[in-house]
Amino acid sequence: MDVERTYGEVATRARQSLRDVERVPGVCKPNSILTANNIRREFGGIIAVDVDHFEVQEGSITALIGPNGAGKTTFFNLLTGFDQPNLGSWTFQGKDMSKVASHRTAAFGMVRTFQLTKSLTKLSVIENMRLGATDQKGEKWWNGLFSAVWKGQEAEITERADELLTRFQMSHMRDEYAGALSGGQRKLLEMARALMTNPTLVMLDEPMAGVNPALKQSLNEHIRGLRDQGMTVLFVEHDMDMVHDVSDWVIVMAEGRIIAEGTPDDIAKNSAVIDAYLGNRQGQSLLEEE
Amino acid sequence: MEVSVGKTIGRRLFVALIALGSVLGFSFGTAKAAEDGYSIRAQVRDQVRTADGKADNQPLSGVEITVTDANGEIVGVALTDAEGVVIVSVPSRADYTVSLNEETLPSGEKLDAKTPAVQNILTDSFITKTKVVTYFTGESQTVRQPGFERVAQRISDGIRLGLILAMCSVGLSLIFGTTGLTNFAHGEMVTFGGIATFVFNVTGLAFLGSLSFIPGIRPDGTFHIFWAAPLGIILGGGFGWALNKRIFGPLRRRGVGLVTQMVLTVGLSIALRNFFLSRFEGRTRPFSDFSLQRAWDLGPVNITPRDFVVSILSLLILIVTALGLRFTRLGKATRAVSDNPDLASATGIDSEKVIRLVWIIGGALAAAGGVFRGLDEQVSFDMGGRLLFLLFAGITLGGLGSAFGALVGGFVVGVMVEVSSLVVPTELKTAPALLVLILVLLLRPQGILGRAQRVG
Amino acid sequence: MDWNLIFENSLKGFIGINAVYFAIAALGLNVQFGYTGLLNFGQAGFMACGAYGLGMTAHYFDISFWWGIPLGILFSVVLGLLMGIPTLRLRADYLAIVTIASAEIIRLVVRSVKFKTYFGGSDGINGFSSTFRALGNDFGIEESNRYGFWPFRFTGRELWVLIVGWLIVAIFGFVVYKLMKSPWGRVLKAIREDEDAVKSLGKNVYSYKMQSLILGGVIGTVSGMIFALDRGSVQPDNYSRDLTFYILTALVLGGVAKVSGSIVGSMMFWGLFTFMDNFLRQVTKDPVTIGNVTIMKSTQVGQLNYILIGITLILLMVYRPQGVFGNRKEMAFDGR
Repeated sequence: MDVERTYGEVATRARQSLRDVERVPGVCKPNSILTANNIRREFGGIIAVDVDHFEVQEGSITALIGPNGAGKTTFFNLLTGFDQPNLGSWTFQGKDMSKVASHRTAAFGMVRTFQLTKSLTKLSVIENMRLGATDQKGEKWWNGLFSAVWKGQEAEITERADELLTRFQMSHMRDEYAGALSGGQRKLLEMARALMTNPTLVMLDEPMAGVNPALKQSLNEHIRGLRDQGMTVLFVEHDMDMVHDVSDWVIVMAEGRIIAEGTPDDIAKNSAVIDAYLGNRQGQSLLEEE
Repeated sequence: MEVSVGKTIGRRLFVALIALGSVLGFSFGTAKAAEDGYSIRAQVRDQVRTADGKADNQPLSGVEITVTDANGEIVGVALTDAEGVVIVSVPSRADYTVSLNEETLPSGEKLDAKTPAVQNILTDSFITKTKVVTYFTGESQTVRQPGFERVAQRISDGIRLGLILAMCSVGLSLIFGTTGLTNFAHGEMVTFGGIATFVFNVTGLAFLGSLSFIPGIRPDGTFHIFWAAPLGIILGGGFGWALNKRIFGPLRRRGVGLVTQMVLTVGLSIALRNFFLSRFEGRTRPFSDFSLQRAWDLGPVNITPRDFVVSILSLLILIVTALGLRFTRLGKATRAVSDNPDLASATGIDSEKVIRLVWIIGGALAAAGGVFRGLDEQVSFDMGGRLLFLLFAGITLGGLGSAFGALVGGFVVGVMVEVSSLVVPTELKTAPALLVLILVLLLRPQGILGRAQRVG
Repeated sequence: MDWNLIFENSLKGFIGINAVYFAIAALGLNVQFGYTGLLNFGQAGFMACGAYGLGMTAHYFDISFWWGIPLGILFSVVLGLLMGIPTLRLRADYLAIVTIASAEIIRLVVRSVKFKTYFGGSDGINGFSSTFRALGNDFGIEESNRYGFWPFRFTGRELWVLIVGWLIVAIFGFVVYKLMKSPWGRVLKAIREDEDAVKSLGKNVYSYKMQSLILGGVIGTVSGMIFALDRGSVQPDNYSRDLTFYILTALVLGGVAKVSGSIVGSMMFWGLFTFMDNFLRQVTKDPVTIGNVTIMKSTQVGQLNYILIGITLILLMVYRPQGVFGNRKEMAFDGR
């Protein structure tokens, strides 16, 4: 598998579809897999998220960036049902997700990871992976006692898990407690586990946080690999090099609003974005710059 | 490092308990004849009305009571004495039948249908060594006061209870707010206050008898309640301080999880309750001052001068506490840490100092609650433990972690418990508190004044 | 000092009926607390459901005692739902508070005069266990005969209950073991550590917690039934908050999240308790004094035992929270 800087067919398609999109906040995409409208979240007077329109292009790797406190993780939580907005609605693959509870979004094909890794340290790596599979017969309490009912499925799940572990180069840690893994390995585990749900959209909350530089390249490749397999990736990040390296599209948030969108190159040159990070325009509406 | 902290805590705890037991190695209270065996105490009362129309129960003497065992063998036969009481020793803790010979009742007296002549006693109903069986003759004379009077009386009782609950709850809520710990031994901290004061007031500390030149301190080492109560409250604060310093502080610093600490408070509760039971024994006992008083008749409400003063004092203490929390620097810091620990430490507040203060004040307030409750309803080994669930209802209603919430919630629960006895049988009057608890959790889990984020 | 008697009683305590009903209740509590992290401080309430389910067949309904079993289970399912619905979406503390409160209310209700026709009030209920005892006779165990060899000498009546009881312990132990090894058990263990992670993988955490609560409660209910059958009576004051706490101590002693922990912990609890009780009673045949001051009299032995239980629990939490058989790495206490 050639993972150097030659873009595969899928990647090329992704970039081409975005080529003609206007570089304007809240712009519409040719094939939006996730669309959000008028999302508003307040915490006791402080407006954490105030997004008019938001679209993620199907099959692309989209980065959501912005300075600390911009509302990125809150926005993530809202979209995945881990928090409720005061106003607004959003759809995933055309289906209205506004009333869907957090545990059901995975059933629809949306899976997320967390900023503070939630690898289950008291379970082994392989058990973590097995947990990720959906529609397990053995998870119903009336089936639990009768191993004949779920043994077959469990074997399939284990096979799939082992494949993923090999791909993420973690097979040798298979039977270790997840608590024994390093920070970076836990990130990989969380990502691999999320893939067990066979998602359509993978939402990663700061996948690079706390990961050592050597592992970052490897993570990048895994993320590209996800897109190449047909999944859409949306991730929040602070590491600008990594963002520039791997994303097809970048959306910038500041103070709860989307202030810019474009390819990584566009964003690197966008003065409004630079100002938002440097904080020169604190207190003023960033949109007035346009 | 870990093990040595654990060893130290364990050792200290053990030593402290043994020391306490030996120093105060005698029973807290007047000598009671040790009852080695089991007995059944039967009493016969006639329900009459006194001259001024109040209900009264007169003892009936000379009534024949027979106790037989499970095989029908007679264990004892006796006549009731002048007090209407007969005590029959039984060989063991087993099933028995108690029969009253109706022909020996004074002429014209008939048993109340509520208490039939033959009553069966099951083995397990021997909670203590003596099982009490009461027979009533005549008809129940309890007059139902006119509606308004009853309601007013209940409200007055409720206010008294509410003030005490509010005092006890503040500590519980603040401990939760500042450390995240739900303290299941808080009831015992209330009991501690009552019993510590009792020791000063009734049992006396003989070696302090030489201080009797101070007014209020008697030669046998007993202190007037005016001395005993503040001493009890101070000791309560000290107890809280000690718990934090020796147990919860080190555990917190070790990073021990909250669930582990909570289970530990369960163990503490078991140990303390039974310690109190072993030393204080199972009866309720009053303080030696102000315990027998005639109630003032304030219109629709009857209240003893003692209860009136206690209520005023409770209110004062609550007001001082509320003002302290609101206006002093330490008070504001406490509210900050309790409300939002992360933010508070980011602004440079010394959380450890605040936590220490919370345990001291919480312990003192709980002890105060125990003292006042003891004045109101006598002291027992269980006086605080019985209130624990009401305290929880109160702080949940008010909002876990909010001090003002505890004040409000505790007060409301207290009033509600007493007032509900108008519609619910007295024995079940704490049940509505549970209902409130469940409703609050369903509708507004953070309580009246709590923060939504805390709820999970 | 009659060591013979102490030894004999301790061994009997180790395998006796107290250890049995504790073991069953601890298995239930283990499902809820050990495996799922639910703070059920009202297991006594579930036990009361079982006991009163049986008792009511005789006292109120006047039907065969066998109906008491589904009745008791029905009570406990309803109780589990009532307690779980408001609290399982919230912090663990709330469940603890509600379960303590509920168990207390149950006790107050069943001992109340108002509901005496249903529950027998403070006198309790008896007279429902004759069918059960007769069954023992049918199996050839005569009630009043003595069986066994030193030190395990029991009457027929005791032996019958013990046999049934330990059989139930074995069955439930097996059931819990199998369940926890299944994918269902895996979800519970994951929930114990981090609910959000489990939610993000598409599992309905609330539903799983409810299942765990109810399963643990039903097991507790069966424990209450055995308890009542042994005594032959149901007494409201037996089902107090203290009972739940003692079962918790036995569970923690043996080790949470281990089936063997619930069973062995209960045995150890009662073996040690009986030992201390017998030992101390022998010691305090005459009151123990230092100089003029009495440190301990025989009437205080009961409470001293319970004090020691409390101290044991404290020391366990400080020193060895995983208990005797637990696995430190698997123990998710600390990851709140």
